[in-house]
Amino acid sequence: MKIYSLIITSLFSIFSYAQIQDFKSINFEKADNIALVNKGENLYNLPDLTYKLTDGLTTDVEKFRAIYVWVCQNIANDYGLYHLNKSKRERFKNDSIKFNAWTTKFRKKLFKKLLNNKRTICTGYAYMLKTLCDLADLECEIIQGYGRVSTTNIENLELPNHSWNAIKLNGKWYLCDPTWASGIPDPETNNFTYNYNDGFFLANPKLFAINHFPIDHKWWLLDDEVPTFRAFLASPIIYGSAYKHLDQHGKPKQMHHVLKKGEALIFEYLTKTTLKKSDVRFYIDSGYNQWKTEPTSQVISGKTLLLKHQFKSKGYFDVHLYLKENLIATYTVEVK
Amino acid sequence: MNLELTMQRQQKIKMLGLIGLVMVVFMSFNTLSAQNAQNVERSISGLVSNEDGPLLGVNVTLKDTRIGTTTDEDGKFTFPKKLINGDVLIFSYLGYETQKMTIEAKTSFIKLELTTDMVEMIGALDTGKPYKSKRKKS
Repeated sequence: MKIYSLIITSLFSIFSYAQIQDFKSINFEKADNIALVNKGENLYNLPDLTYKLTDGLTTDVEKFRAIYVWVCQNIANDYGLYHLNKSKRERFKNDSIKFNAWTTKFRKKLFKKLLNNKRTICTGYAYMLKTLCDLADLECEIIQGYGRVSTTNIENLELPNHSWNAIKLNGKWYLCDPTWASGIPDPETNNFTYNYNDGFFLANPKLFAINHFPIDHKWWLLDDEVPTFRAFLASPIIYGSAYKHLDQHGKPKQMHHVLKKGEALIFEYLTKTTLKKSDVRFYIDSGYNQWKTEPTSQVISGKTLLLKHQFKSKGYFDVHLYLKENLIATYTVEVK
Repeated sequence: MNLELTMQRQQKIKMLGLIGLVMVVFMSFNTLSAQNAQNVERSISGLVSNEDGPLLGVNVTLKDTRIGTTTDEDGKFTFPKKLINGDVLIFSYLGYETQKMTIEAKTSFIKLELTTDMVEMIGALDTGKPYKSKRKKS
């Protein structure tokens, strides 16, 4: 136990806290209410929409908050558009003329869909956020890069596939992802369910780095060394709920692990709130069976969570971490 | 001697003072007339297009206000409020770069072409479904 505590103190003392902590004295209730009052507004008059969303708010962070929350709660993710674009981009990836022609055609289609139906894909969210911020004199940028989710071909991302934003507040840049904060798309029905996830608002760049790889290096916003693309592709998969419950994902750094029978895997996290032991569960899938289990051992010290799980039988396991019944991360473990 | 010198000095000062006064009066007249000529409230109209021709539905808004109008089918607009030098008009239409234009002494008709925002459209969707390893079928 003492050794665990020592490890925890030394590891997490160097970790920085979530960026939203910079604004903990600010209550976002007013900004959130303004976003709610303007629910359903259309995109035909953006200067007026910006005025409605920011009038009466005094700080830049509140103005940004109102715009951001409005975008997340009023723009729907269109799976059909996403799929169409993805297949065309892959088809034309070795033919730059066709690729560029498609890009131009698709951009027009996308802007039309966004304007008339308020439906889009990632870049549409990032674009909408930037456009409204520009009109409110807030400095906001679109970041293009790679996003890693459970359903993409996670080990083989060839083309950039995701867009998110950076916003400058009080002279400092912060990250947010309005697309993933907005809700859940259903690939089968093309329905979109709004389900705002506040975890992507001014998220910790260290957590962001696990499933966001910017093309332009300056948007890592990390103090220390940035991950290589290879390391990024080998990272664990984290889900939207990870942003709700985690400030940082410490260990393991990789998704895949090879262990000997009886060996254990160590997990380290910095959580947003102090958890109880009963909040922590693993769901393990062997390919034949699925079962729920507690970690072999766990130490909770304030907001640090240290887990150890021993694998007693041979096999290939998908190990899903759940906190408070929410799916946080997936690792794969081959036990020989 | 001393008295004469003093008088000469006083005359010089008076003369300089008079020249100064004349200059001040002249300059103030000059600026007044300049303001009269240039910075009166006036009606502003214009034409907004894209690479294909006139653009319908472009929002033309006076910065930091809700005063504005939209372009008609011919891409034309007449701003509903009379404007003065230094006023800033914002031209906005989703998908095009927002443009700001400051009203200057010569401005009365604005001709503007909006350019498409050249952002590359991509998207990764997070369906939140648990990852499932691909396994060999046994």
